[in-house]
Amino acid sequence: MRLGSYIGVNIGGVALLGTRTYLAVDASCVTAAEVVEGVRGQRLRTLAHEPLPQGAVLPGPLGPNLAAADAVRAGVARVLRGVGRARVTLVLPDGVGRIALVEPPRGVVARDYVRYRLAASLPWPAAEGVFDTLDAGSGRVVGAAVRRATVAEYEQAASAAGANVEQVHLAPLLGLAGLLRERREDEAHALLGDVAMCLAFVREGSILALRSRRRDRSRGEASRLRAELVRLASQAANGNGSVPLAVSGSDAPGLRPDLGAGATGNGSAPVPALAGGAAEASWLPGIVA
Amino acid sequence: MTRQPDFSSTPRTSRVPLYQQLAFAACALVAIAAALQAYQAREQAQAARRRLAEVSRDVDVARGRAQALESRARAARAGMLAPEDAPPARIVAEVASLLPDDVRLERIAIDYRHGGVLELLVVAHDARAWDRLLQQLEGASRIREVEPGPEARAAEVRSLVRARWASPR
Repeated sequence: MRLGSYIGVNIGGVALLGTRTYLAVDASCVTAAEVVEGVRGQRLRTLAHEPLPQGAVLPGPLGPNLAAADAVRAGVARVLRGVGRARVTLVLPDGVGRIALVEPPRGVVARDYVRYRLAASLPWPAAEGVFDTLDAGSGRVVGAAVRRATVAEYEQAASAAGANVEQVHLAPLLGLAGLLRERREDEAHALLGDVAMCLAFVREGSILALRSRRRDRSRGEASRLRAELVRLASQAANGNGSVPLAVSGSDAPGLRPDLGAGATGNGSAPVPALAGGAAEASWLPGIVA
Repeated sequence: MTRQPDFSSTPRTSRVPLYQQLAFAACALVAIAAALQAYQAREQAQAARRRLAEVSRDVDVARGRAQALESRARAARAGMLAPEDAPPARIVAEVASLLPDDVRLERIAIDYRHGGVLELLVVAHDARAWDRLLQQLEGASRIREVEPGPEARAAEVRSLVRARWASPR
């Protein structure tokens, strides 16, 4: 089901530089975002969204994630209709990886340090993992680890649907990249996936605090989320009064009223409001600039 | 552009997009063309420098000739004999060739400012040798206005002979 598309600023010279499709799979849906890579950054051209049957995808760090692989492949194939498949970045959902904010010592390769720091806490042997980092500013990096077998499961589903996967990213890391690019003053963010979320306190292009955990979507989630964000902000902001709270994710609009008057979206995604919450995907700001 | 994390299950060689390949090829072509042009320009500059050096040498030679001609003209106008026209070595050699065997040349003075006046201090063995010397000098094509000095013909003749060097016209 194609819900809509958005044509961004797309002059001829910019369009010549090529397009890339970000293909995100989460528990509830598959989303494809085709961006035009230009000299001034990336502009969103097409956004497509395809719901998945409940229980088809079970994002987690261990074990099979695609409980209904056929349904997922069919959903991916449908969402890829009409967008480029030659250069695809696969975006894995919140909950499949372990992420942490670390400060590598000077002269140490960040990826190696992340492997060293995360290895003991992983539910699988470190040798089975794929590690990488995102520069978080102020000498810190967001390190992440995903089990290779889990990545391969998503890659196979995308390839079977005709996607040429060139790169694999994580939804929380993409969302954090978008926050870093905005360089706002103190702000506490909740980046929601379908089954897990990432809480971050950012200050002018640097991440000062980071947490990730699985979501508890039972009644009262909004108030719990608000309490957690306030706690994070009070720890990271050194008692800097009230800090703006922001929440993004496909179901953020439903949580926002209960989070309080100050809660906002991330506000940077240049997309129209689409049905199904695709335009609210927490990783979307990370792919446009 | 900052490096994007990549969690691919198998390492992939990064595929460079077509536009980047084209841009790289275009840059390479431009760089090669610029290098060729720079090389050609360098060659042309070197050739121009060589030509300039040749012309400068020609100019120096011509200027030297002009200066020599001017100095000769000035000398001719002032009744002077130019040393370039009658080098001292040539005059001495000419005079020496005219001396009989029993005549000795003790001193020779050449006055270029007055048209090549020669003063020859000679010593002749006897009067006959003295006469032969004068005869030789007067018969020489390059020597004119021979004026013998005072002489005592009794024995050895020691006297000063004045003459003028005749430069070729």
